[in-house]
Amino acid sequence: MSGFVAGLLHPLVLPAHVLALLALGLLIGQQMAGRQIVSLAAFVIGLAAGLTAIAFAVGQTLAADVLLAVAFVSGAFAAMARPLPALAYALLAAIAGVALGLDSPPETVSIAVATAMLIGTGLGASLALAVIVAGTSYLFGVHEWIWARIGGRILGSWIAASAILVLALRFARGQLF
Amino acid sequence: MDHAARLLSAPSLMVDQWRAVMAAAAAMLLLFAVPALAHTGSSTGGFVGGFAHPLFGPDHVVAMVAVGLWGAFLGPPAIWLLPIVFPLVMAFGGVIGILGVPLPGVETAIALSAVVLGTMVALAARPPLWVAALLVGAFAIFHGHAHGAELPPGADVVAYSAGFVVATGLLHLTGIAVGLLARWRAGRIAVRTAGGVIALAGVAFLSGLG
Repeated sequence: MSGFVAGLLHPLVLPAHVLALLALGLLIGQQMAGRQIVSLAAFVIGLAAGLTAIAFAVGQTLAADVLLAVAFVSGAFAAMARPLPALAYALLAAIAGVALGLDSPPETVSIAVATAMLIGTGLGASLALAVIVAGTSYLFGVHEWIWARIGGRILGSWIAASAILVLALRFARGQLF
Repeated sequence: MDHAARLLSAPSLMVDQWRAVMAAAAAMLLLFAVPALAHTGSSTGGFVGGFAHPLFGPDHVVAMVAVGLWGAFLGPPAIWLLPIVFPLVMAFGGVIGILGVPLPGVETAIALSAVVLGTMVALAARPPLWVAALLVGAFAIFHGHAHGAELPPGADVVAYSAGFVVATGLLHLTGIAVGLLARWRAGRIAVRTAGGVIALAGVAFLSGLG
């Protein structure tokens, strides 16, 4: 059970995961309600693939950097608030899902606990993204509160700025890719 | 209408101005609730370290507040465009700084930004939006470069960067909150006076007194 809870909270305690989920949620939340489900489904499928790969002990990957890149792209587009093709949202969500899954290796030797952690991570990340999308969609669409939309765009620009700074720093230190 | 399409429409300040003022005031309170930490060269990592970093350079602080004040003076869309554009342009400057690309006269440009932006507020200048954006964007590169070059090694870089960017944004919001006082006659005088004080502080930084 503790492994499941640890996995559930995992995406919410790692800053890179939080940035990526927030930025992606803001972006998807700007989509039309009917299309949001497609992007969410793409994220869940990608996440399942990433977690399955990590369960089969895939070695070190570029997942952390890819997640930051997703945070940058999603944050920048959320800040611009320009509609993208539906495929672009789904693709970005799928990439984020795979990267988040690959960047969540369970730190335990017990197969049972590791499995519980992976399931928890999958559920936690999916729920977190769904909540952010729902909240964004509600504030942007239902209430028509203009300052919420502006706040969302400002948050997107802040996330994009943070992500690009980190990527630059990792590049300067020779840690990127 | 699509949510995204609705976002394209220029928002109006007529909507919930009071809520905006309260939200910005809350941001100010959050800003001043941060514990005191060391300034440049601090190796303090994490969100708090990054958050504290921009707050302990007075030249940065007054320039960021001036950006917000000017945005409020210019009105929509500048008031909401500046806090969106500035962090992105500043991050570009930060990337240059991190990569070690030299930029001449960084400290001078930062001090000059306080002089110019403060003067703009003091004079209640209303140039075209693209001129204001160009001016603020140019200064943002220098501010970002200085911050990027000072990012500490080690620590949690992601949290540090997030804290750093959020603090900068909150300084803008502080300026905007104060700038919204310009709706009233007395407030307008107070805001313009604040601009004058910022410009004078910039002169002091330029002359080495600050």
